[in-house]
Amino acid sequence: MSNKNTSFSTSRRRLLKGLGMVGLLPAIPTIAASTSGHAGHVIVVGGGFGGATAAKYIKRGNPKIDVTLIEPNSTFYTCPFSNLVLAGERSLDSIGHNYDELKNVFGVKVIHAFAEDIDGVAHKVTLSTGEVLSYDRLLLSPGIDMRWNAIEGYDQAASEKAPHAWKAGNQTLLLRKQLEEMEDGGTFVMSVPADPFRCPPGPYERASLVAHYLKHHKPRSKILILDSKDSFSKQGLFTNAWKEIYGDMIEWVGVSGDGRVVRVDADKREVETEFGTLHSASALNIIPPQKAGFIADRAGVTNESGWVPVNPNTFESQQVADIYVVGDATIAAPMPKSGFAANTQGKVAAAAIVASLAGITAPDPYWANTCYSLVNPDYGISVAGVYKVEDNQIITVPGSGGLSAADASSEIRQAEAAYAVGWYEAITQDTWGTKY
Amino acid sequence: MISGYLSCTRGSLIGLLSGATLLLAINAQASDLPERQVSLMSSSCANCHGTDGQLAGAIPAIAGRPASVLEAQLLAFKQDLQPNTTVMNRIAKGYTDEELKSLANYFANVKRK
Repeated sequence: MSNKNTSFSTSRRRLLKGLGMVGLLPAIPTIAASTSGHAGHVIVVGGGFGGATAAKYIKRGNPKIDVTLIEPNSTFYTCPFSNLVLAGERSLDSIGHNYDELKNVFGVKVIHAFAEDIDGVAHKVTLSTGEVLSYDRLLLSPGIDMRWNAIEGYDQAASEKAPHAWKAGNQTLLLRKQLEEMEDGGTFVMSVPADPFRCPPGPYERASLVAHYLKHHKPRSKILILDSKDSFSKQGLFTNAWKEIYGDMIEWVGVSGDGRVVRVDADKREVETEFGTLHSASALNIIPPQKAGFIADRAGVTNESGWVPVNPNTFESQQVADIYVVGDATIAAPMPKSGFAANTQGKVAAAAIVASLAGITAPDPYWANTCYSLVNPDYGISVAGVYKVEDNQIITVPGSGGLSAADASSEIRQAEAAYAVGWYEAITQDTWGTKY
Repeated sequence: MISGYLSCTRGSLIGLLSGATLLLAINAQASDLPERQVSLMSSSCANCHGTDGQLAGAIPAIAGRPASVLEAQLLAFKQDLQPNTTVMNRIAKGYTDEELKSLANYFANVKRK
């Protein structure tokens, strides 16, 4: 055993050096190959923050494991920083990332196709190409799907006219176009769902950055946020900053104030709220209720909530063995549905999969999260947390985390805005190998 | 003026901490946490500092810095002794002193690219 580990470790050093990766050699775990003669095959479905990270860290943990990543798109556009694209502060290209590092440095096989079905008993994944692949372990990072028709009149066709822009890419550009075409003095209306949904502070950052754009280009315009809940992430920080920077441009209406949108007329850009009030929009953004991406349903790992219960120590499904699920699709509160959390969950699941294929126990999990929001490009706020497992539940480590200070100086807000950019570059480097 | 998470130089940090030497006595011994454990724990740091703490941008790289400096900095964050900190005080409070020491040793052992 020790001889085997030593020689494996040496060959790994050579491999890493050969690839030009100056690794963290003393700390790389040395895992013996499994008894079946090969180290196993892992299929990863979904190349976002959770899946791409997991694929990379499985290979870092044991390069002898064959890893196949199934992802339909050759470029992944991140939701983080897409609000800057919406505000005209960044190009869509600047938030696009590819799979070159995974393929060329880590030897991950990347297949650009949809995973259409999963047989958890037979350990098989069926692709849109008709190909059927077998796995020893499967990792799903399926992200979210919209619950079409949860709001009357809001289906996929309607989302072309009243974009959600809650998956970045073409949807972002559609909403950007509405903003550009909006007259000065118009109203940008946004509908926000009840919890849980992807990126809890995201809608409020979006309102902020849209306000930044309008303030400079269409200053007589208004933003109306119609919300299906009565409180939201970083609420005090956002509302104080809105008042300070944007005056009364942004109006927020909670569910008690008739904020819940129940019907959408995308053609007329009109919404109706619970108690029958009609609101007309110059630009209309409907962020609908959500659920785990559909492949999670096909795999049988979702429960009645539409989300995925997981074993907190490993992020293995509670319902189907050998399937691990990470990211927004999972039930992982108090961790938020964020790209940062998905990335750290991907690492925990990767370590658990590497250990499982080697027949050893998984290391204890650690997760962290920092969600930055930009109120404008020079004004950043954040919420952070460090998480662990206690009594088989994920908990926030007592005393850790929390919000930016309410009374912070403008220098601190500016520093957090700069760190938001630093964070974006670091996490996209860590996840996709994007170079800066 | 805020210049970064690790905004103070080594000299000013040591100056800052000189009044709290007893509390923050630096022990050069390696920690007892298993290697796989520390490796997984450290991977969260990559989200702001790049893979293996290598990325230098608005947020400084942490790879290859002396363990004693990293540990002192982490403890200063944890104990709110570092003025003008934005988020590292909130993060550092999520780890025991032993875990912070392990992280410091881990990143000190990464060869800086």
